[in-house]
Amino acid sequence: MNKKSLVVGLGMTLVLAVAITPMSAQERRWDGADDLPVNPLACPGEEMAMDMEGEEMEMPEYDGGLAQNAPDKAGQPITLVDVPKLIGIGYFDATALGMQQAAEELGNVTVITDGPTEANIDDQITVIENYLAQGVDGVLFAANDPVAISPVLRRALSSGVHVVGYDANSEPDARTWFVNQAEFNGIGKAMIDALAAEKGEDASFGIVTSTFTTPNQARWIAEMWAYANKCYPNMTWLETLEAQEDSVLSFNQATTLLNKYGDDIDGIFGMTSVATPSSADAVTQAGLCGEVAVVGLATPNAMKPYVNSGCVKSVVLWNPIDLGYAAVYVMRAVVDGTLVPGAMSVEAGRLGELMIVNGSEVLLGAPFIFNAENINDFDF
Amino acid sequence: MALQEKSKLQPAPDDGLVVRIRGALLSQEGVLFLILVVSVIVLSLNTDRFLQPSNLLTQARLLVEVGLVALPMTFIIITGGIDLSVGSILGLTAIMIGIGWQTLGLPLELAIVLALAIATLCGFVNGLFIVRVGVPPLIMTLATLALYRGLAQGISEGRSVRGYPEWFTALGQGDFLGLPTQIWFLIVGVIVSWVILARTTFGRTLYAIGNNETGARFSGLNVDRAKLLIYSYSGFMAGLAGWIFVSRVTTTRSDMGSGLELDVIAAVVLGGTSIFGGTGSITGTVIGMVLIQLLKNGLALNGVTQDATIIVIGLVLIFAILVNNFIQGQRQKS
Amino acid sequence: MTTATLVKQKTSVTLRLSHFIGVALAALILISYYVLPFVVQPERGPSDIATLTGGRGNNEFGLAVNGLVMLPFAGLGALLLGVWNLLSPRHERVIALLLAVCGFVGLTYYVIFFRQYLETSADYLSSMSVGFWLMLGACVALVAQVAVPRRPAERDYTPRAVLSNQEMVLAAGLILLVIVVGIANPRFLAERNLSDVIQGHAYIAVAALGMTMVIVTGNIDISVGSLVGLLAIISGRLATDTGQIWLAWLAPLFVGALFGGVNGFFVAYMRIPSIVVTLGMLSIIKGILLIWTAGSRVVDLPQGFFLAQMRPLNVPMPIWFMVVLTIVVALWMRYSGLGRAMYAVGGNKEAARLSGLNEQRIVFQAFVLNGVFVGIASVLYATQLTIIQATPPPNLELTIITSAVVGGVSILGGTGTVVGAAIAAILLNVIRTAMVFINVSPFWLQAVQGLLILVTVLADLLRRRRQRR
Repeated sequence: MNKKSLVVGLGMTLVLAVAITPMSAQERRWDGADDLPVNPLACPGEEMAMDMEGEEMEMPEYDGGLAQNAPDKAGQPITLVDVPKLIGIGYFDATALGMQQAAEELGNVTVITDGPTEANIDDQITVIENYLAQGVDGVLFAANDPVAISPVLRRALSSGVHVVGYDANSEPDARTWFVNQAEFNGIGKAMIDALAAEKGEDASFGIVTSTFTTPNQARWIAEMWAYANKCYPNMTWLETLEAQEDSVLSFNQATTLLNKYGDDIDGIFGMTSVATPSSADAVTQAGLCGEVAVVGLATPNAMKPYVNSGCVKSVVLWNPIDLGYAAVYVMRAVVDGTLVPGAMSVEAGRLGELMIVNGSEVLLGAPFIFNAENINDFDF
Repeated sequence: MALQEKSKLQPAPDDGLVVRIRGALLSQEGVLFLILVVSVIVLSLNTDRFLQPSNLLTQARLLVEVGLVALPMTFIIITGGIDLSVGSILGLTAIMIGIGWQTLGLPLELAIVLALAIATLCGFVNGLFIVRVGVPPLIMTLATLALYRGLAQGISEGRSVRGYPEWFTALGQGDFLGLPTQIWFLIVGVIVSWVILARTTFGRTLYAIGNNETGARFSGLNVDRAKLLIYSYSGFMAGLAGWIFVSRVTTTRSDMGSGLELDVIAAVVLGGTSIFGGTGSITGTVIGMVLIQLLKNGLALNGVTQDATIIVIGLVLIFAILVNNFIQGQRQKS
Repeated sequence: MTTATLVKQKTSVTLRLSHFIGVALAALILISYYVLPFVVQPERGPSDIATLTGGRGNNEFGLAVNGLVMLPFAGLGALLLGVWNLLSPRHERVIALLLAVCGFVGLTYYVIFFRQYLETSADYLSSMSVGFWLMLGACVALVAQVAVPRRPAERDYTPRAVLSNQEMVLAAGLILLVIVVGIANPRFLAERNLSDVIQGHAYIAVAALGMTMVIVTGNIDISVGSLVGLLAIISGRLATDTGQIWLAWLAPLFVGALFGGVNGFFVAYMRIPSIVVTLGMLSIIKGILLIWTAGSRVVDLPQGFFLAQMRPLNVPMPIWFMVVLTIVVALWMRYSGLGRAMYAVGGNKEAARLSGLNEQRIVFQAFVLNGVFVGIASVLYATQLTIIQATPPPNLELTIITSAVVGGVSILGGTGTVVGAAIAAILLNVIRTAMVFINVSPFWLQAVQGLLILVTVLADLLRRRRQRR
């Protein structure tokens, strides 16, 4: 009797597995990109034309939300809470530092940074709920999921709390403004161009990302894909592997790519500030520096050893300190009423005037490329 | 461990009101309830926002997913088993709702029913292997923890499903009769589970299995059927929690509910259910989950950040059990 | 009587089969040494084998063709066969002689090989590493066939008996998986990849050793993931702040033992269920880690710190740690008083107590030892990369527990060996890598992993059930 039920049980599991497999078999893209529309930038050499075009483009309508019946606190002290995707990682440590700098400069802003201990959408919502209950004047957030976070943010807006996003967006109407570190297509272009410069226009490459469900990473990969298709049709896209936010797993995945493709791989993209240094380590320890290029998003401090040893030529990132800094200035401007729908730019302390794009996004600037010459000037 | 067993099984001797009250206060749940009351008082000293109805209702809304899953988990742990796959079942349910609705083009209502059926099936498969093949629950659910999560990820291919209609989000975000809608599910779930566990033969069977499975079998109880039922129940509740969760956050992702199992187990064991089986109650579980939720919230309102909060939660978990063990030990002696 | 004769008949049949395997392996070794490389590339002499196997898999495909790639497998097979024959009460003269000749040829080869290595200081060892040592061991075992006296007959050495434990099932599954994936994608079999795959989970295997002890006593520890993260940072901070590398390597062991001791104290003496204590500790340690590091990673580590990147005898250090510790712990668990006591406590607490064992102290010691092994694992983890990230690997505790459990450690306590846990840890990484090599969509990776865990566990249950009959 036991044997029979065992067979039945095994059979059921198999049927379950087999029944579900074909559903995904049609889609053969394993690149970790999302399905949203892409907008690749112009290829190198055509940029001038594009710029001209860009200026003629009309500014879209403001599509952000507004805090309802918010108390008028123009010029008065305000308390903000900053809720990053998770606490305890270098990147959001840097944004929090930038916020403290801005708060100090402004003098009338207090910022508390608190967030979930894991990049978990539910925990992040809970943290925001707690601070709403506690009573704050504004919420700064970096969303773990653009949609999931929106209901709680809408509730914040409707109860008179200002909401400004940075790093990872929510749905536009769930916040007032979003400080965009660099546009997705800008990152895509910078990454692909960096690889092309290092390994030629027919390079083949693999990607190590965090998870396929992480919205920002999926967006960047989609833009990279679109840009590479448009500008470097001879590039070969090998494979994207997941590595969570786990440094040793990232190392193992990058090593697997190297071993699997042997001489056929010219470059590895790291999509997070954990994956990039680990990939660089994998290349270094395999003795392939120079043969296999590593390009990625990472903070300079993590990448200094590899850039200084010459194994990594370029690291793409914005300055997260500036990102946090700008977010606080934008929030202050919203509270003071100096940044209203329809504005074309906003004043942000030492960063000067920041442009408004896409209706309700404040653009920090173009992505910055760290290399051996400049990386030692940065400390974050 | 032998010390704390049975307190629940034997009806308290009827020695007058004082003794009974004293007994109730010193029982597992009583002690825990005292801890809860003390924490609430301490936490509300510094801030008047903690005890405001709006805050408490929001907290209740956030509690529902863990709470729903904690009910069958109490049953399972009482029988000496465990179910680690609940978080993954929640994720799979979420994905099945999204896929059924958007990819397969089913009406959303049907997709929900289908997803709940699949969730129940997932739990049933756990139970089937545990009962028929004899795989230890921890190993079985450890394997399905990976398997179900993997199915969710494979089916969704890492894509989210968004754009649910208005009526769908009412469950997770709306109110019904003055309370957040999903609370009603929890209330009904708690009452039903409490009645089942405390007032039916089936409930007695669960305790019997936890205390001595072989004995229960020999005394003619249908152990296999009971286990199959509770694991299926666990799957169903995880599915229900998945539905509510999707409705609350209006999006579907394959990584939803990861880590849920630990939150649930923490609530259940804090509620005095022994991981070795045989003791525990729904009342305890309810107090346990409320205590954790209010601690998290109250600490945050008192300006304690998350990193410090998890330390406090860890300490409370250990010391609540410690204090309870001590008191139950004293009671046994006297 | 009838059953006895039946068994005897069966064994004689299988022994004949093993004759065949022995001859085949011997032939394979001979062929791969002396013939195949030079058939494919006759212009290269025997000393050029290194260049054939070298490089980072530029010629893996060539390898698969010229047969050199079969060396490690043939070596492993010969080694197992040799050891089996050595221990077997029904020791066969003919097969022993055959294997001994084969071993002698191999040893001669290594003498030449080594002399040339010393003379030219060429990079032979680096290209041969795992295969080299495996083959050397095999050859020694084979030669020893003739000399070593027989052990008295103790038990049956039929394949069935040998396959009747979880370690062997896992090892067989592991080898099968490697061969199947190797056929699908020969690059999988490249020296470099195999050693990378083993190295990748070596630290998990080490942590699984400690976990095995805890589980054998009937407990569990889910705080190990956070603990690895914390100890890695401690190790890194000590290295950068004091510059004392030995201190940085050893301190995690002690701090790990300390945390293990705290866990053990509450579990053993305070009688709190281990899942509660370690669940609490999980969040306590994580909170400490977050507050203490505030997300800053450790950089600028001193040169000599990178223990896991060292390659003594050209085998990565983590593999050394894993192999040596597994063997030591396996023997210790089997023969030492405390090791046996752990099984006794896990098997039947009351009986253990009645037979005079101090159950509380044994559980406490198991947790302390677990802490030490987590410490070792965290040093391997910390020294693997040039920087140490402040966030512990997510779900690490699940991977470690899964390794121990799949390795045949019954969660109810009392049974299981550390060898199985180590093999299972490697198996998990082999599965992950194999999926990539045979182009399974990464979306399905976790599902396949879960399914394989299930299959392993079911196979084990089925086997045990059959044994009971």
